[in-house]
Amino acid sequence: MADFTYDDAAHLLRRAGFGGSPQEIEETTALGRDGAVDRLINFAQIDNGALEAVIRASFDLSNPDDITRFNREEIQRWWLTRMVLTKRQFEEKLTLFWHNHFATAASKVDERFMFVQNQTLRIHALDRFDALLLKIARDPAMLIWLDGITNVRSNPNENWARELQELFSMGITDVVTGEQNYTEGDVKEIARAFTGWTISPPARTDPNRFNFQFVVDPNQHDSALKTVYGQTANFSGEDIVALISARRSTARFIARKFFEFFAYPLSASSTDRATIEKFADVYVASDHSIKALARAIFTSDEFFSARARFALVKSPIEVVVGSIRMLGASYNPGSIQRDASSILPAVCAFLNQEPFNPPDVAGWRPNLAWINTATMLNRFTFADLLASSRSPDPTAPGLSLTHEQLKRLTKGNAKKTVNSFLSVLGPLEVDSSTVKKLREYLQKDATGRIVGFSPDDPTIDKKVRGLVHLIMCLTEFQVC
Amino acid sequence: MAITRRQFIKQSAGVASVGMFLPRVWLGESQAQTPMGAANRKMVVIQLIGGNDGLNTVIPYTNSRYYSLRPSLAFKQSELKDDMDRSMLISSDLALNPAMKEIKELYDEGKVAIINGVGYSQPSLSHFLSMDVWHTANLAGAGGIGWLGKYADAALIEKDGISAASIGGSLPKSLFASKSVIPSIQDFSLYNFITDPGHPEDYQNQLDAFTAASSRSFEPGAFRSAINMTAMDAVQGAQQLQAAVASYSSRVAYPENNPLAAALKMAAQILITMPEAALLYVMLGSFDTHSDQIDHRSGQPNRLAGQHSSLIKWLSQAVKAFYEDLNQHGLADDVLIMEWSEFGRRPEENASLGTDHGTANSMFVIGNPVRGGLYGEAPSLNALDLDSAGNVKFTVDFRSVYATILDRWLQGDSQSILGEKFENIGFLG
Repeated sequence: MADFTYDDAAHLLRRAGFGGSPQEIEETTALGRDGAVDRLINFAQIDNGALEAVIRASFDLSNPDDITRFNREEIQRWWLTRMVLTKRQFEEKLTLFWHNHFATAASKVDERFMFVQNQTLRIHALDRFDALLLKIARDPAMLIWLDGITNVRSNPNENWARELQELFSMGITDVVTGEQNYTEGDVKEIARAFTGWTISPPARTDPNRFNFQFVVDPNQHDSALKTVYGQTANFSGEDIVALISARRSTARFIARKFFEFFAYPLSASSTDRATIEKFADVYVASDHSIKALARAIFTSDEFFSARARFALVKSPIEVVVGSIRMLGASYNPGSIQRDASSILPAVCAFLNQEPFNPPDVAGWRPNLAWINTATMLNRFTFADLLASSRSPDPTAPGLSLTHEQLKRLTKGNAKKTVNSFLSVLGPLEVDSSTVKKLREYLQKDATGRIVGFSPDDPTIDKKVRGLVHLIMCLTEFQVC
Repeated sequence: MAITRRQFIKQSAGVASVGMFLPRVWLGESQAQTPMGAANRKMVVIQLIGGNDGLNTVIPYTNSRYYSLRPSLAFKQSELKDDMDRSMLISSDLALNPAMKEIKELYDEGKVAIINGVGYSQPSLSHFLSMDVWHTANLAGAGGIGWLGKYADAALIEKDGISAASIGGSLPKSLFASKSVIPSIQDFSLYNFITDPGHPEDYQNQLDAFTAASSRSFEPGAFRSAINMTAMDAVQGAQQLQAAVASYSSRVAYPENNPLAAALKMAAQILITMPEAALLYVMLGSFDTHSDQIDHRSGQPNRLAGQHSSLIKWLSQAVKAFYEDLNQHGLADDVLIMEWSEFGRRPEENASLGTDHGTANSMFVIGNPVRGGLYGEAPSLNALDLDSAGNVKFTVDFRSVYATILDRWLQGDSQSILGEKFENIGFLG
């Protein structure tokens, strides 16, 4: 068993979660590699009562017809609040992974269905892949999003059948062998297998207005023979989900998708193909268990290798949630209606990653797709917003980085103060000349002269806030 | 072009606070050095994302197969007029969608080339792969560099300032370049390096510290290197952009609640106020009309309203306003507009009042430089001429449209950018 260091634990928390406070990182370090991974993955055992109490006090999402209490911003506020305040970081990160994988968007789908889909993803996030995929195939939001509800036997709609294969399970070509995984004929035949899959609304008397039921309309379902992947049978949609989940191409595609989201991007090299095969084998041997796949990846030497460190570009949600959590900034979602804080939905929209509303069915593209001049400036503006979020009352609704929080992290001299904040916001490894520039920044007066740094209150309010902004603008902070 | 690392380091040497005043220096330099070739020739690309229904954009109104394949979606001949009762017919067998009256006006003035049947062999019906094919001009969709990025690397690299830009919060792959960072601009007012409003006196210190940090080198090819260069370019370009676009004024009223019009207005502001700007890129989404592409709220299909009609109307109104704005600022002779989408849609409608993924499509090239008219050949809809998925066969390789524009307008080298020689389609003479 390799040593499990503070940096290892910080790396694990940045990836399986959004990043830890120094205390969380220390607690995680003490558990060792396997113990730390097991604790993150077995999140159901972690008491999340404090979060649930905040959620109960801050939201009323019981009636989707009450648009003052149930709307897009409210469900975004709800999920982002969970991400910031949860003790079960992996639960929210994994739900975000699946939301991005089975990307469905409120741009087309009513928020009530988006909300239900989010719970489905959260509840089944660690199931067998077959089980999750079938839940999604029957999910009202997905049936609307990819036109399943209008897919009828007279003239099938191919939208779901295509993306089911291309994006949700195996890809156009096998990610290891490069062979074509399916034909246009398979798309058409699979579309037929799902004809008649639709939803029926809750009864007029049903108080649960979310209660849409999945049904197969026998009049619209094509029950004739279909030929899929060279096999001919009277395939149902359920049969197709099982067939797809059992394909080696699916094992490889899901293993790669998971690995690249949580560990590092893979190339076409033989080493990286072997990495995909190794984790595809775990998927197969565990009977398609997502939990087994997750555990294998997070405990692997690949995950803790030098190549994995800071190898991923943070998504905007990771920037926002991570910086709040790492700094221990105050966040209060506010209470129902009256003083709800829309700060988190607003900043995520500003940074182009609105939860519940990915740009298209392929989800948010990773890594350098997040990086362009507009998004960089927006990230820096968010950094400034957080760094300068003074609040006379940190218990008030909204986001604040209080003087006391900054004071706790500020040390007696410029060097130690820079190191303290670089550690908390990563820990980030930054070259010595940049560290020196940051130190000089702390010591400069308004004319740019170096006059020294003393950690008094006015200096903390100006210079330490400025330092947080500058560190969050560093290239090193954009990766995790 | 956004500032390259080399230029930045060269110019910032010995300067303490680069960001505040150097952009003017760059502007001066860019006017002093005449960029090679394509002076004053500019292009704006409009990408319609999701697969625009070409058959309901350029409508084959005499083709009985069009009507038999699309019992609900096909426009009746009697519907082919605009809301002022003017005919939308552009030839003895083609008409424009009735929502496109502004583009029809430009067509009648000889400023619109419509190239029919544009596609490629063995077309992919995947949005993502087909977009990559078009972005990279590589039929396998391979390679990380876009065709316009290659052009920019070759032709715009020596220009300082913002010579190319994407409007929006993302950078399309067409503009992925290997030597330069092409900026994305989502909102002028937010395109800035902002520091603590509580301590404005500390702004320069923060900008200096940021500039020092972003002047570092990272291992080439790694994410950190790209992030660092982008960050630096963003902050430098922001200063320049803010100063320039503030001087824009126009008598043209762009349509409200039209996201393409908003983007084209930003493009116009850049083109009008920044003489070095040569390549702008805008996008409009939601063309993936698998269902409800026409209105049916009354219980009857209404082709004159609904999703596709609304999108096409946005396109038409936005292009017209943009053209007028350029015209009033004396730039109409300098700007070519090219529209594309990753594929057309299936000739046969599905049962959802929509259409599934298709293949070849019509492209529009618009502007004073264009020789207006119809080019290429509208593909046959006959059953024997459709492929096994029921899609049309292309008649014009999309890369020949690119080549025509590169060679005849941008004075680029199409063969080196596209890897092969393609025929001149003739819409630029």
